[in-house]
Amino acid sequence: MATTTISNGAAIAQDWPGRYYHVDQVLDRPGPRTDESFLAGEGVKDFLRNKCKILVIGAGGLGCEILANLALSGFKDIHVIDMDTIDISNLNRQFLFRPKDVGKPKATVAAAFIMSRVPGVKVTPYYGKIQDKDDDYYLQFNLVICGLDSVEARRWINATLVNLVDPENPESLKPLIDGGTEGFKGQARVILPTISSCYECSLDMLNKPTAFPICTIANTPRLPEHCIEWASVLEWPRVHGDKKLDTDDPEHIGWLYKIASARAQEFKIEGVTWSLTQGVVKNIIPAIASTNAIIAASCCNEAFKIATSSAAYLNNYFMLIGTDGVYSFTFEHEKRADCPVCGGEAVDMTISKELTVDKFIETLIERQDIQIKKPSLSSGSKHIYFQAPQQLEEATRPNLEKTVSELVDDGGEITVTASSLPFSLSLRIHYS
Amino acid sequence: MLQNESQDIEAATATLQAQPDSKTRRYDRQLRLWAASGQAALEAARILVTSGSATSTSVLKNLVLPGIGHFTILDASTTAPADAGNNFFLNADASIGKPRAAEAVPLLRELNDSVDGVADVRDLAALLDTPEGRQFVAGFSLVIAHNLPKTTVEKLADLLWQDPLYPPLMVVRSAGFLADFYIQFHEHCVIESHSETAPALRLTKPFPALQAWADSTDYDTLDPTEHAHIPFVIILIKEADKWRAEHNGALPKAYAEQKAFKAAVLARQKKLDEENFEEAEAQAVRLWTEKGVPSDVQALLDLPALAPDASPNVAFHALLQTLRAFVSDPAGPGTLPLTATLPDMKTDTESYVRLQWQYKEQARVENVRFKELLRATHPDVSIDDALADAFVKNAHHIKLLRGRPFGAFARDAAALASALDMAPKETLTHLGLNALSAVLERSAEVTPEALTAEIQAAVGAGVVLPEDELENVVEELARAPTADLPNTAAFLGGMLAQEAIKMVTKQYVPVNGYCVVDLIGSTTGVVGAV
Ligand SMILES: [Zn+2]
Repeated sequence: MATTTISNGAAIAQDWPGRYYHVDQVLDRPGPRTDESFLAGEGVKDFLRNKCKILVIGAGGLGCEILANLALSGFKDIHVIDMDTIDISNLNRQFLFRPKDVGKPKATVAAAFIMSRVPGVKVTPYYGKIQDKDDDYYLQFNLVICGLDSVEARRWINATLVNLVDPENPESLKPLIDGGTEGFKGQARVILPTISSCYECSLDMLNKPTAFPICTIANTPRLPEHCIEWASVLEWPRVHGDKKLDTDDPEHIGWLYKIASARAQEFKIEGVTWSLTQGVVKNIIPAIASTNAIIAASCCNEAFKIATSSAAYLNNYFMLIGTDGVYSFTFEHEKRADCPVCGGEAVDMTISKELTVDKFIETLIERQDIQIKKPSLSSGSKHIYFQAPQQLEEATRPNLEKTVSELVDDGGEITVTASSLPFSLSLRIHYS
Repeated sequence: MLQNESQDIEAATATLQAQPDSKTRRYDRQLRLWAASGQAALEAARILVTSGSATSTSVLKNLVLPGIGHFTILDASTTAPADAGNNFFLNADASIGKPRAAEAVPLLRELNDSVDGVADVRDLAALLDTPEGRQFVAGFSLVIAHNLPKTTVEKLADLLWQDPLYPPLMVVRSAGFLADFYIQFHEHCVIESHSETAPALRLTKPFPALQAWADSTDYDTLDPTEHAHIPFVIILIKEADKWRAEHNGALPKAYAEQKAFKAAVLARQKKLDEENFEEAEAQAVRLWTEKGVPSDVQALLDLPALAPDASPNVAFHALLQTLRAFVSDPAGPGTLPLTATLPDMKTDTESYVRLQWQYKEQARVENVRFKELLRATHPDVSIDDALADAFVKNAHHIKLLRGRPFGAFARDAAALASALDMAPKETLTHLGLNALSAVLERSAEVTPEALTAEIQAAVGAGVVLPEDELENVVEELARAPTADLPNTAAFLGGMLAQEAIKMVTKQYVPVNGYCVVDLIGSTTGVVGAV
């Protein structure tokens, strides 16, 4: 996938007099809560409008808003990465897209829209994955704003930016501003890699995804969701073999809906609908324009304050709940000393002497503060279990039956890695 | 798949829905929040926005996207170079010199074909001076006003307060990083508040079928599988009965008693890992926290009615009075009507479905009784079944907010004094924005001193204001008194749209009081609630 830079005819146009009347009021003079380092006037405007380079990750619900806000705030060199194409269900909030754009890459369409609406702003889109880019790519930016719905992608960019920090080079520290929403709720936070709490530090704050035990799905279904899971987890592979379930294919959803409805009828369970089927199999999170607007504005406001020093910035977590009145909570989330990304200390874990490697892996998968899907384990130079490559998997498979205590001494360390994460986790094992 | 198996599926699923239409697909992510009823309310809404400022168009963007019926931008001004710089819904410098409303409307309308939008270039202040103009303004379902001149917003608020049938007014004021907003309404009633607290399961007052089930369940005659699948509801009813029999009819009260009760529940396990008993232990708390009538609903039942005939909430009040009658009905359960929704629990399909059916059946009986009471006590009020059903189903979560006119808080010395004490930063920001309007109104220079003088005059000369907070507010306001910053505008655009959606759909709970926003500290806070 290639990077395309769309040059904008109006980009060379001079700023018209009065264009920044509003923004300049806070750039021309300090306020009572402005840091002394603030260079009021031309200096800060020159940096913001001519030198600052900002990366936006995600061109979806938050991304569209973020791009528009940054452009109006005076950022002129904006890059945006998104691997998705536009779907009709995006149009209720992703306001840079129109029905004619369905199927096109979000990054490209969003970039073109911003450049046509806000003269003089250059938006460089990349239609692809954040993992395609290397350290040098990320090093070119002053700031990174993240508007993603994927936990995995956020963990990746967070770890990448933490690893990028070189104590000898202050420029290598890239503030990361992260936003997320769900329905009328959302949060925005500022992460100063290695200095403040990072995304990984707060992993245990995420809601645990609802998982239905297989035995419930197979034997004692009670809810419509159980019937839908039965259709997608058990029946789909049984009937369709290796054919992959495509949750964006209406025919596939239609099939699941039909199978789930039949099972529900058999067990006299009510409530299987098309919408619920789609919601369960795609893990759909409700999303509206207004909440995205609030959280994206909060992220961009922090980016603006950090880039200009015109006012103190968020330290470091803003949480909003809009379901019952307007309730928000602003607090400093604390760094975790045993954070696998920014902490440096090993996580202490006490387990039974009888625990097998197999069960130990299950325990790891269930831990909310670790959230790892297919962990590989080693201790020092000793391989305990590796998910891949195949040869290594086969060679280490017999260890699954052994107890951890056979392989690791009390107080010994286990290193956990996973292909989805750009970091490893150290566990110090104690036996009860 | 076997031939007859697939035929069974065909037969069983003959009534399946087709794939949703394109409108449902477009709105899928919001329909999961407010459903078709909320969407219909949005589509019926006609919203007046009294300027084409960056904040105003941000609000509108977030209302056009989800599909409000109609909006009018009322704005007599032409686009200034500054507007072209901070407003995404203008054609940048190409809009300069042209009417701001007319420039903004097409760019908002293109966000959603199904929304109707009109640019009206008349002057609001002039309209408020004529009966036709006032009638025009009062004819919308919601009015949103950003940074209006002081006298204009006061006139507008006065007009819309005159009649409870007039639309609610949302007033938003911003200057740089600081802002506040307020929703003026007489009364706002919510049936679907989407509260996350679970409705009562009647564990301490089981209905007859449930009690019979508990009574007929004998732990000792069940086989191990059945024993491990007794629903926690049944376990708790049995254990509560046993406890009451041994404690003169009282349920566990003190912490030690509650602990003992839980231990007794766990001791019923025949094997160590019977999850239904573990669940019963975890859910035992319902026995001492579940109330027949939750205290916030009780407060509504005790509320004196507003002049009911003039209220747009006649139906809600009739339902509320009926609820009062239902609770005190000697033939009834003495609680709110039962909700049929059951949480999932560790049991087998058959028991769960049976339990669900019993709750549904009891809920149906009580729903019928509620409607009988409604017809008997309010023969003249027309309430369709769907509304009554929704009310009964959500009786645990109903909300009723009462409001005051815009500006009343700042005239209430006692409320101000207490707010200054409890939330000095938010209260001073609100007073600071009042002061800013006053200083701008007389075209004086906005200085910290001028703002301080206004604030001091508003609270009374004798009131001592916290110095640091005051300084932070007046200096920040004087720094950027007329700045409609793009990020502040976008933030408020989201906030106001969330509130507008809550007002229009009558779902979720809107803010009551002045919501104060500080985008330096990134905080929000509410002051001046009734
Ligand atoms: Zn960390």
